[in-house]
Amino acid sequence: MKRIKVTAAMLGAVAVVAAQTAMAVDPAQIGSFEVTEVAPGNYVHYGSFEERSPQNLGDNANIGFIVGERCVLVVDAGGSLPVGRALKKAIRRVTQVPICHVVLTHVHPDHFFGAAAFLDGGAQFIAHRNYPRQLAARARSYLNYLRRDLGELAEGSDVVQPTLLIDGRLELDLGGRSVVVQGWPPAHTDDDLTVFDRATRTFWLADLLFVGHTPVIDATITGFLAVMDDLRKIDAAHYVAGHGRSQAPWPEVLDPQRRYFTVILEETRAAIRNRKTLQQATDEVGHSEAKNWAAFDTFHRRNVTTAYTELEWE
Amino acid sequence: MRYGTHRVGTLLAALVFAVPVLANEKAEPDPARSPYWEPIRQLMFGDRPINADDRDVIRVYLNMRADDASTVPVAVKSQIDQTEKDFIKSIYLIVERNPSPTAGVFHFTPSSGRAQVETRLRFEDFSFVRAIAEMNDGKLYMSQRWVKAAGGCSAPNARNFVPEALLGKMKLRFDDDSITYGKPNLVQLMIRHPNESALAADFDAEKVPQFVRSVKVSFDGRPVMDAEVDFSISDNPNFRFFFNPQGKGELKIEVEDTHDRKFTHSVPISEGAPLPGG
Repeated sequence: MKRIKVTAAMLGAVAVVAAQTAMAVDPAQIGSFEVTEVAPGNYVHYGSFEERSPQNLGDNANIGFIVGERCVLVVDAGGSLPVGRALKKAIRRVTQVPICHVVLTHVHPDHFFGAAAFLDGGAQFIAHRNYPRQLAARARSYLNYLRRDLGELAEGSDVVQPTLLIDGRLELDLGGRSVVVQGWPPAHTDDDLTVFDRATRTFWLADLLFVGHTPVIDATITGFLAVMDDLRKIDAAHYVAGHGRSQAPWPEVLDPQRRYFTVILEETRAAIRNRKTLQQATDEVGHSEAKNWAAFDTFHRRNVTTAYTELEWE
Repeated sequence: MRYGTHRVGTLLAALVFAVPVLANEKAEPDPARSPYWEPIRQLMFGDRPINADDRDVIRVYLNMRADDASTVPVAVKSQIDQTEKDFIKSIYLIVERNPSPTAGVFHFTPSSGRAQVETRLRFEDFSFVRAIAEMNDGKLYMSQRWVKAAGGCSAPNARNFVPEALLGKMKLRFDDDSITYGKPNLVQLMIRHPNESALAADFDAEKVPQFVRSVKVSFDGRPVMDAEVDFSISDNPNFRFFFNPQGKGELKIEVEDTHDRKFTHSVPISEGAPLPGG
């Protein structure tokens, strides 16, 4: 999910003051970082829906870890180095076994900027085959905007290059526990990975599922809908979304996101058919969905832009 | 001309990067005191006066807050009729804080019908967008808008991956169901092209980004709009403009990119005949 909040950007001086204020309060505030065991051995930290700020340190995505007898697997490292470190501390409160794998579910900064916290332990960083190309294109601006939003607190947050790229499925043995890391065709991004813990049938969808927070389309709306059809077939007992949490059962929890995409798809196609411009489409399409989603004003019109520029070539 | 324009872009980039970073002001700065604009103005127009009189010639329309910095719709609209005696010869479209600020220079003739162009822009940072009209007598008129959008030059290309087989493929869409002779008809040109930004990856001197350099539109052999464009234009470049057919003819598009590839597309036009629509 994109968390480059241009509207939250401030004059340099203001940002520095804010950063210093946050530091003065407690630079290790994130140390009280909570994790929830959603299924045996599967621990989730739920990120905030608020815009990235020196107060939340980019703690905006749901991240977590799976504990085996021999190894820990991390699913995303959070939006800054302090978040990654807090996650690592949380892991150490639960287990002392080595952290063998860090899965970088996709190329968005709220999920990967904490990865540097896991560089010292010899962990393998797993990403989709398309991830490095995207990272090369985006890293510089993502880092610029992280610094702009967090000021001095962005210090140490950086991109980590994956050490293992996957295309299809990868089965990993964590010791008495086997997990499947799976790459998907373009949907939320063109480099989405999910993680499935076989022992508990816990499905970590990362940003292929948004709950309550406006879903974000960074790659393709038709691709996202097609991938959602396949996600639905996964026999999961528990699920972890990339953003938000819910008591809704699986796979019904996918329904609101599907409805939102379907509204955009149908209304954008109609707008194109009726010779509406991109500007008119972003003004008109999908606003009936506003009441259903957090951060709608930040992400919805961008989703319509992505959909329109894809669908106008149909 | 191609590389000439490119060099100007690079030079402007150097100038722009040399001024202090004031980026992302909350409030709109004073357009007359922009440190970004002054060197660009000097380089492109020298000491020629701009808006010397208060004639209302050109307006630029954008949303102040853009939704997607890699795809920001912009409309430049002429406030005057194109006549033989009095017409807009060129429109310069400038995103003053982009690394290559000149998004496009669009040339029109009296027979263009109306000097108007809509396209989609990338923004690397919060910036003024300036549209400057150069009249046939050389007078310059400017309109500008402040736009809050950033990051669009650095991260746009991967989204709309263009397969080699589709590169340069074009589509024309008309606003009306059929053409009417003797009046300006609105047409939208869509070009399949990644229009790679030179900033998309970390600067790689070995790699020349591929983007569309020139777009020539003619009707029945007469120019409608000629444009020199740049990577400040979004991927899959899209232009809406008018043409004013007096009779049957061929609407022809010729496109050239930085890799010397040439693409052409044409459609026959006749009054009352059905047209490809939305």
